[in-house]
Amino acid sequence: MTAAALEASFVVQVGTGEGRFQLQAELALRQGVLVLYGPSGAGKSLTLCALAGLTPLQSGSVSVGSDMFEDSVAGCRIEPQHRRLGYVPQHNALFPFCDVESNISFGLPRAERRPGNPVVKELMDELGVLELRRAQPASLSGGERQRVALARALAVQPQLLLLDEPFAFIDPRGRKELREVLRGILRSRGISAVLVTHSREEALAMADSVALYERGRTLRSGSPAEVLADED
Amino acid sequence: MDSSFPVLLSLQTATLALLLVTPLGLLLAWLQARRRVPLRSVVDALILLPLVLPPSVVGYFLIVLLGRRGLVGQWLDQVFDVRLVFSPAAAVIASALVALPLLVKTAQPAIEAVPLELEHVGSSLGLSAWQVFFRITVPMAWPGIAAAMVLAFARALGEFGATLMFAGNIPGRTNTMPLEIFSAYQRGDDRQALLYVVILTAISCLVVLAAARLSPRGGRR
Repeated sequence: MTAAALEASFVVQVGTGEGRFQLQAELALRQGVLVLYGPSGAGKSLTLCALAGLTPLQSGSVSVGSDMFEDSVAGCRIEPQHRRLGYVPQHNALFPFCDVESNISFGLPRAERRPGNPVVKELMDELGVLELRRAQPASLSGGERQRVALARALAVQPQLLLLDEPFAFIDPRGRKELREVLRGILRSRGISAVLVTHSREEALAMADSVALYERGRTLRSGSPAEVLADED
Repeated sequence: MDSSFPVLLSLQTATLALLLVTPLGLLLAWLQARRRVPLRSVVDALILLPLVLPPSVVGYFLIVLLGRRGLVGQWLDQVFDVRLVFSPAAAVIASALVALPLLVKTAQPAIEAVPLELEHVGSSLGLSAWQVFFRITVPMAWPGIAAAMVLAFARALGEFGATLMFAGNIPGRTNTMPLEIFSAYQRGDDRQALLYVVILTAISCLVVLAAARLSPRGGRR
């Protein structure tokens, strides 16, 4: 039997005093796309940071595939750079000091970062940004930026993608297009993803499984039909 | 003594001081900007101290620490046969120390302004903390870091009090331009003093202009 794509149960605490925020998350994904759904400020983005190892857990564990990334009881922790997770943040996703192609090859070993790397070219082609390879991030539209950020995350062959509101700054048509592209890529490469959104429509369109967030907690999780049935 | 000696010595001293203080200053700026440093306000105060103390006091502390009978100086003398006080190396150390607060306090906000998300992306792409710093933080904060280095160089070039205390004013050995201006003026050689004043002012102006040019709009490519 293959291992689940993601199993996580943890508590994270950030900030101090009045600004203190505690997150309690229970997540499981066998395969496909797990959507973290809920209002802004519920702890969805913080969950991605915790999964990526960017925010330390107060307690609990995170395992991806057959790898145990963090377990507070066993005292083990794998550093973020060794987790092989493709993280795409909502804001400031691209490095503004290099062009599209250099952004995509950024995480590759030095020898593979030279222009014209066929793997990078194939990714650019697949995500429809090949024509933009010499463009600077500042000149790209919201949709184009997300495509480049996605290609960069995929270039390092991640075992799981962490996508924070990937369709937030894209017009409705572009959003639909990118959803289809993303779906196709995940399916063809057999990669699972955790996707953050506060849009019900997006959750329904993308999710194989949904975790509903409210005020720093996962209220319930399950199939999109079950979890989102009572949600507006 | 050749009148070009203080000019060359000053440039050499300021350059070496910059090379010495840049790694330390950037490390401190990064720690202050990105890590939870224990006793942060105390560390901050210590960094700022050379800026607010009279240079003669900084020089005195250096003698207490690195002088022949100093806490570290004695050990250096006995173990390595190295005597720093009244040497050109002492001038470099004094200049580096007074330049440190300017470098840290100019670079720190530039590092703080780098979006955390970009550094997080770097980590998720497999970059170590060092690689994140050199491949993401430094290019993003480059205008601020360049300005910090230029200011540190200018401060090191103009250093007087701590150098006088710790390195002395030995003609042909430690008489940098600021010291030579003082000496020339004391002995009534106004022409010589004016010469160094003009040179030092011109170099400082060039350095400030370079700082303005060095600051690109969107970081380094």
